[in-house]
Amino acid sequence: MADEIYTVAYDSETSADERAKPVPADIAIGIDIGTSKCSFAIWNGAEVEVLQNTQIQSTIPSHVLFKDEMPPEGFSYEVPRSGAEILSGSDAFNMKRLIGRVDTDPVVKSSKMLPFMVQTFGIGQIPLIAVPVNNVWRSTTPEEVLAIFLAELKENAEHKLKRPIRKAVLTVPISFSRLQLTRIEQACAMAGIHVFRLMPEPTAVALLYAQQQQQQIIHENMGSGMEKVALIFSMGAGFCDVAITITAGGVSQIKALLGIPVGGEDMLQNIIHYLFPDFGSLEKMKSNRLLRIAVQNAIHELSSQTSVEVKVDLRDGKIKSRSLTRVEFEEVNHKVFVKCEKLIAQCLLDARLTAEDLSDVILVGGCSSVPKIRSLVLSLCKKEDSYDGIDPLEASVRGAATEGAIASGASDASGSLDLLTIQVTTTSLGIRVDGGDFVPIIRRNTSVPVRKEMVFTTANDDQAEALVVVYEGESRRAEENIILGYFKITGIPSGPRGSAEVGICMDVDTSNVLRVYGGAHLLRTQQAVSPFLEVRMPMADIGQGWSVQALVKIYGSTMDLAATPPNEVQK
Amino acid sequence: MWNRSKLYAAAKILNGALRPRPYLAQVFYPLPPPRRVCSEDSLFHRDSKIFDGSLHHFHLFRIARCTIYSGSPYSTSPGHGDGLVCWKCGEPAPLAGPFLSCVSCRAVQPVDSSVDYFQIFGQERRYELKGENLERIYKEWQKKLHPDLVHSKSEKEKSYADEQSARVIDAYRTLSEPLSRALYLLQLAGILVDEENTIGDPELLAEMMDVREAIEEASDQKTLKEIQSQIRRKHQEWSKSFKDAFDKRDFDFAIIATQRMRYYERAIEEIVKKL
Ligand SMILES: [Zn+2]
Repeated sequence: MADEIYTVAYDSETSADERAKPVPADIAIGIDIGTSKCSFAIWNGAEVEVLQNTQIQSTIPSHVLFKDEMPPEGFSYEVPRSGAEILSGSDAFNMKRLIGRVDTDPVVKSSKMLPFMVQTFGIGQIPLIAVPVNNVWRSTTPEEVLAIFLAELKENAEHKLKRPIRKAVLTVPISFSRLQLTRIEQACAMAGIHVFRLMPEPTAVALLYAQQQQQQIIHENMGSGMEKVALIFSMGAGFCDVAITITAGGVSQIKALLGIPVGGEDMLQNIIHYLFPDFGSLEKMKSNRLLRIAVQNAIHELSSQTSVEVKVDLRDGKIKSRSLTRVEFEEVNHKVFVKCEKLIAQCLLDARLTAEDLSDVILVGGCSSVPKIRSLVLSLCKKEDSYDGIDPLEASVRGAATEGAIASGASDASGSLDLLTIQVTTTSLGIRVDGGDFVPIIRRNTSVPVRKEMVFTTANDDQAEALVVVYEGESRRAEENIILGYFKITGIPSGPRGSAEVGICMDVDTSNVLRVYGGAHLLRTQQAVSPFLEVRMPMADIGQGWSVQALVKIYGSTMDLAATPPNEVQK
Repeated sequence: MWNRSKLYAAAKILNGALRPRPYLAQVFYPLPPPRRVCSEDSLFHRDSKIFDGSLHHFHLFRIARCTIYSGSPYSTSPGHGDGLVCWKCGEPAPLAGPFLSCVSCRAVQPVDSSVDYFQIFGQERRYELKGENLERIYKEWQKKLHPDLVHSKSEKEKSYADEQSARVIDAYRTLSEPLSRALYLLQLAGILVDEENTIGDPELLAEMMDVREAIEEASDQKTLKEIQSQIRRKHQEWSKSFKDAFDKRDFDFAIIATQRMRYYERAIEEIVKKL
């Protein structure tokens, strides 16, 4: 336990006057793109302000509307202004669930119930998405939809702030792979936004928590920088994330991160299926949309009531009506709750902590108001109540805006931006060896920045070249993980298998950029044969599983690396 | 339409300038690196099915024979020689304590691999730590070294910050766990710990079988917790054995102790998972 107060300060010799310098002109805004709603916020020099769009809403439905006219500049979409437009049937949403996913992904398969077309072939490629515009299915991509949406957000923010917006900090689900993060960056680039940082959602909340703890200590002039341990549970429409943070004196160490693509959307689909089993054909698009909205509202009402009447006027003379109790709701979604419980238990295990170690439990996200979710989180964490200093719906975007201010170099006289968060990696990063095993080089939950090196050897006699295939994931089988890229190391000194040494080094910096270095060593030395190769990953538009199948087909095991050299060389 | 390669082209050029070519650095590599050390990183400990059926499975215990060097050819900095001064303002290094950042201008200094992890935390090079305030010192260092706090400074300093910060993180992780601390001490003494020796120890093998059975048969939390506290005690005993052996420079016995510690740690992990 810390015995003295310590705070983060960039430079303790600067006076408060100097530190209260004006807000940097290009301070990054914070954006929270939710599965169902979006919001944006900015540090205004004194505090974080959640911005409203032109319709004076602080959250905007994550929908993009497709229009049939084609203006000369090629843009024919917009963000819907009203509920009626959402019902028009030409919009695409839930893109956060679909972005960067291939058609073998269970999340993509479950999106078949969405009221627009998701065509899949089960071949590990990006699915085709289309919306009906004037009796024609118009194809689009999740990145495109997201980009249109972000462009609209940007325009709104620029209008409000009366200055161009160039940089943004975005919150992302923990379970996003690096490929998905790249797609988000691409969508931002399309919208003219430079991604300053992509923050796992609960770590944005952790930042707010650290700020509040720090301000409290300064405010109350408390003499001790007591360590606070918080578990953050964040569940929105598409994702469930858990983080554990330890904070003291403005410095937070993220201990563990764990997330799954499970959220309110799954509960919604379960309930729709339970109440109206015949629902789900693309032909009855409009009634499907009406059903979705009615059930969504019913679930919302079940947070405060124990039973509710779901009534849908299908506007074709038919009215569907069913009652739904909270008990039924909880039974139908039992599997979802079990997944949440497992996630929390595993995250505590990963952090090597128990419920007794937690000072606070923070619940955020749209699903945090579901009574069953609240009770299961609190009971697992052995807490009577949750931390109440943070708005569950604005936490993520406020955290992102705070990070935007800190990363842009803004400072504040009251010291409320003197914060440091030491982030951790969300997945293990490693390479394929011994014909198909995955060897992690940087493990999940490793603090960044990090640089780790491992030395491997050749699988064949007189092997001059080695293929390095980089994956992320937790499976011991490489093929079950996600491929990020590959390259070849050449000029390996000849010798019997197991004698040559190939060094592979991985580096993740605080912006979460992954670089992989590789090179052959001269026998029994650490001297490099030739300059090391540096590759930034993921490689551009990598063809997912196909690349590896192609590589294996052409090269077999002739360029394999091995983790275990034969014993005789191990002297 | 956008184009990803265009997007990153500028950044790539920047990065090239920012990171000195690794092979240049190793020419100046100051210390002979320890050979073949075993490290926790080379274990599949998350998946280690240590209590699975037959003896056959015990090979998962073994270290995959990857070598991790304490210093690395990927380090951008050659380390210091004599007469340390700040690269930025020329201020001499303080007489005591590691020189990671300048007292005068606060510039982050290049990694000096002759400074070991114990020195970073103001500890003697011994198994037993004094004061137990690693976490506080760790955060103090991060406030001085973390790249997020190095604003609008030179790319050179940012890359120093990346490396120093990463090194302090690794130092903290290494010293805060008993086993990794023990292995690091052996590493500093230039000693290889080969995990395969574990299999040749019949006494430990028999014990592993017993414990495995006990955990499998344990039906309630109370029994599991009892087993857990027994194993914790053994872990402490062997931890003490390591300390004594290391102090006496009895490295053979110290290595045996680390193998025991590793095994007990895995067993505790298995129990926690079942609890
Ligand atoms: Zn200096």
